[in-house]
Amino acid sequence: MVSTTEMIFPKARIPYGTWGASYFPAWQTSPLAEVNIGQFAAESMNRILGIRRVPIKKLDYLVSASTVPWHWKFWNSPTLSSLMDHRVPGFHLEQACATGLQSVIHAAAEVEAGDKEVVGVLTFDRTSDSPASIFPERRAYRRTEVISDVWDNFGFDPATEKSMIAAAGNVARKYRLDRSEVDELAAHRYQQYFDTVESDFHQAVMVPLEILNVQGRSMGVIDQDLGVKQISISAMREMSELDSCVTSGTQTHAGDGMACLLVTNEEQAAELSSKPEIKISLVAKSEVRTGPSLMPEAPTLAVKRILERTGLTIDDMGVIKSHNPFAVNDLVLAHQLDFNWRMMNNTGCSLVWGHPQGPTLTRLIIEGLEEGVRLGGGYVLICGCAAGDVGIAAIFKVS
Amino acid sequence: MTAKQMRQSTLSTLGLGEVIDIFKKGKMPTTASEMVDKVFGLSFNRGPLVISGANGIVGAGKTMQLGSRLQPLGVPIVALDFAGSPDGLGRQFQGLKGNFGTERAAKIMENITSLSYDGKNLPKALKDMKPRFLLEAIPEILEVKKAHYELFKSEFPKIEIRSVTSGFPAKQLGVGVFHPAFPHHINKVWEVVEDSPSDITRMLWALGMVPVPVSDDWSFVLDVLFCGLLSAGTHYSESSNMPYWKVDKYIRRLLGPNPFRAHDAIGAKGANFLTWSCLHHLGKEYGELYRPSADLCARKDSGQNWYPLNHFRPLVDWSLDDHGEREFERAILGPLFQMTSMMLSEKRAHLTMLNAMGELCAQFRSGMLSVIRRYGSDRVLSIVNNFHQHAPEEIANSGWYPAAFENMDSHQWQQLYVNAECDSSVGVISISRESYNHDVDSELNRAIDWLKEEGIERVILTSDFHLSSQMVGAETSDFYPAVESRDAGFNLSLRWSTTARRLESEFEISVGYIAGKRCLGGMLELMSHCHYLIAPKGVALGMPEVTLPVIPGMEGCHWMFRKSDPTMWPHLLELLLTGNNIQAQDAIGLLVDFSDTTEKSLQAAWRVATDGAHGLPRREVKQEGLTSIPDVALLPYEGPQVDQVRRALFNCIRSCCEATLEQALEMQSGHSADFMKSKLFKQGKIGSEYQKTVLI
Repeated sequence: MVSTTEMIFPKARIPYGTWGASYFPAWQTSPLAEVNIGQFAAESMNRILGIRRVPIKKLDYLVSASTVPWHWKFWNSPTLSSLMDHRVPGFHLEQACATGLQSVIHAAAEVEAGDKEVVGVLTFDRTSDSPASIFPERRAYRRTEVISDVWDNFGFDPATEKSMIAAAGNVARKYRLDRSEVDELAAHRYQQYFDTVESDFHQAVMVPLEILNVQGRSMGVIDQDLGVKQISISAMREMSELDSCVTSGTQTHAGDGMACLLVTNEEQAAELSSKPEIKISLVAKSEVRTGPSLMPEAPTLAVKRILERTGLTIDDMGVIKSHNPFAVNDLVLAHQLDFNWRMMNNTGCSLVWGHPQGPTLTRLIIEGLEEGVRLGGGYVLICGCAAGDVGIAAIFKVS
Repeated sequence: MTAKQMRQSTLSTLGLGEVIDIFKKGKMPTTASEMVDKVFGLSFNRGPLVISGANGIVGAGKTMQLGSRLQPLGVPIVALDFAGSPDGLGRQFQGLKGNFGTERAAKIMENITSLSYDGKNLPKALKDMKPRFLLEAIPEILEVKKAHYELFKSEFPKIEIRSVTSGFPAKQLGVGVFHPAFPHHINKVWEVVEDSPSDITRMLWALGMVPVPVSDDWSFVLDVLFCGLLSAGTHYSESSNMPYWKVDKYIRRLLGPNPFRAHDAIGAKGANFLTWSCLHHLGKEYGELYRPSADLCARKDSGQNWYPLNHFRPLVDWSLDDHGEREFERAILGPLFQMTSMMLSEKRAHLTMLNAMGELCAQFRSGMLSVIRRYGSDRVLSIVNNFHQHAPEEIANSGWYPAAFENMDSHQWQQLYVNAECDSSVGVISISRESYNHDVDSELNRAIDWLKEEGIERVILTSDFHLSSQMVGAETSDFYPAVESRDAGFNLSLRWSTTARRLESEFEISVGYIAGKRCLGGMLELMSHCHYLIAPKGVALGMPEVTLPVIPGMEGCHWMFRKSDPTMWPHLLELLLTGNNIQAQDAIGLLVDFSDTTEKSLQAAWRVATDGAHGLPRREVKQEGLTSIPDVALLPYEGPQVDQVRRALFNCIRSCCEATLEQALEMQSGHSADFMKSKLFKQGKIGSEYQKTVLI
């Protein structure tokens, strides 16, 4: 380990074991498709913290984050904390798929500033039944534009007029990726996920949640990542290409869900954590924007940058987790940093368990930190891409 | 000879004698008109009742409740309040109309004179009326209250004053206390603080109210229990994050009440304040255990509801595993047990009344003492100690009296619901619970045992003329285990029926006397097991089981047939299959043996019990099977569901009647238990309650 590395937020800690996420059902597969996802997220965070034995009253600030409009989103964090029967101030963040990591960084900054001691991070999204927004656009020939928030945005980057899939194809061609290796990587990711499902790992990070209808009757328990089915390498290879190296198996799917964690000062972390001897802090964060319609390479650039800034190497990383809406993301990262792509995303990743946007990177952080703890400590690298050809990376230290 | 008692009757705490005396004397201890004359003067010189703060929630409710009872007796009511205070009385009129009809409601309102004042000077019109009794319901500010009393005393030196205060002791107020229970316009219970029972208290009793003498300590029995329960719920929520709506459901399953829903229903702003105020003052008096939680303090100021708003109806459920349930039990029962120990050590009330407060006023399925008795002292101490281990140190030092649970084998503890009194030859068993449950059953058995040990062969079974003003049937929550297990239903029915049979088989003469407005369902089955059944005119009798639906489990499907002439069977069948009521005077020979005025009925009961010249034939219970039970098809068709229930009932009636008396016991229990496992039962009222209460 590199001793010269300094923390960007030395006062901020993530108390071990105070985190949790819902499972991420694929879009339109669960009761989450028809609920107010903000309410679901807030009630779930309250429940998760209850299970983790953290009184909600300990929170003195709430950073909330989501990317798909939800009913009453105007009110954001204050309303969300009220839904937990706790009235605290807060702030809402949104930047596509960078949202989850950015909200943790924002929470750490709040703690570092000294005004807050226990900051909740609550991220969520529902892509199912995407809301449609109506915009009066006097300068458009149709005068009024209607956008299906999830699908129309996936299909059209207004800065490039390209779709997300096109960006993945562009990157595959730029790096001359081999379809068979992309398929192999994707199949391996599925295997990693299903191996994890068989283990006790999810019990430490995921929380089954029962959904009630308006009469208070159960609509079912969200206790698995619904819609995720194992794909063999042979099935992967038979899939038709939507663009270069992009098939339905080598790209993620939309989903619904929430994930939350706490960022506190050292004293509160010791009080709230079930294992106070474990210290988790944020070492560094980096963010880049790459060329037009090259989004899947952006995480690689962000990782290179963060390693340069910290003086750490990829070999120093005990855990590597990436938000990989396309399998090409991971392949570019591994090729460019010269490491074995089998050694990352050990417990699953968004390519497999889906992509509800806001909470995606939060779940990756939680999984990465839990894995880091189980390894006995070390650096945890989290990275991912985001709409607008953005890449984001952060390094956490578990000791 | 002075009557012997298992324990003191609650009636005697009002200075109204013993229950057995009512039968001996053949009349009630007093009447409303007699007490009205004493309190308000004779009709030519009668002064009014003044209710100050009459536009408030308590004042308006009590103006209506007392006004409706005193108007026929010619007592004028004065509703006094500040000029400009919002009209709380007008809002009550619709309810009054619903209960009494337009004409009578108008008369009641006509009898109320509304007067305004400035708080410093009494209105001249009031001075001319020469009021006899002031019921004060003004805001909870001690100095304001005391000044108010001085104002009245200086003008009317002989006036009787009682405060409806929600917390101040009489020794601080300088006047007696009549603390009423919510909802004020209908709840008949008043906690009374007086040196000795006054004529006003006895007048309340004679008017059909339930005065409950309590000691002169901070706050009241009901408030300690109910505010304490909400307090425990808030502290549990604050430590566990469980939302209040779910805490409420778990409390309901554990004990019965919905404290949070109740606060919202009453009006969160006012109710939160009153609960906070009660706990705040109790906290000052008794310590940390009573300290209002941070959330209660916040909601006292904001008036925020405890349940989520309609557009945020709960979405994520909470459930507890076994460990969680034990923690919940500890968090709720720990403080409640401790608070009860304080009330016991202060001897706040006769144990039966202390126990009844939770049931009569706060929806407890069983009163707190009954719960404590069921747990047993060892487990109670263990729960409280466990609670202390998980609570701040000061909690254990805020009024914890473990010795209060040492004497639980005494009759005072063991006979919370059923008392027995006797002279040399006649015993009276009185039930102070309106519905029959497992506690009543056990206590009734003990009362019978006690009378037998006293050598008593003649007994009157009745209610207590105090806490129980009607006999409404079986406690349906006792049937919940039967939904899950046929054996549980069978054993319940068998046990209760066996108890009822003791009335018939173990006494030379047993007389059921129905005191109160009605006797229905399980209670009627119980009373019917007596050799004679007597009820004053106007008492409603019925077997409403078909409407719930449930199959009567205490032999209602055959016992009455065996006692009556076959010409009565179609009427019995109709009663059972329609659930309709019948007046006592119309049920002679069918259900009852005698019905007349209250006094004549009381006298008849005593004559029969003492084997005097009563002239009533004893209707023997036929041991052999009955034939020619009329067919169910006699009744008009009222839809498939009613038809199915009636058929199930009829099958039970016919098979139990056709069996011998000995066989019928288990046969009826079997029918009852089978039905409680059926879809019809689960879809009915009790089944729905079970789902709402137990399956949370």
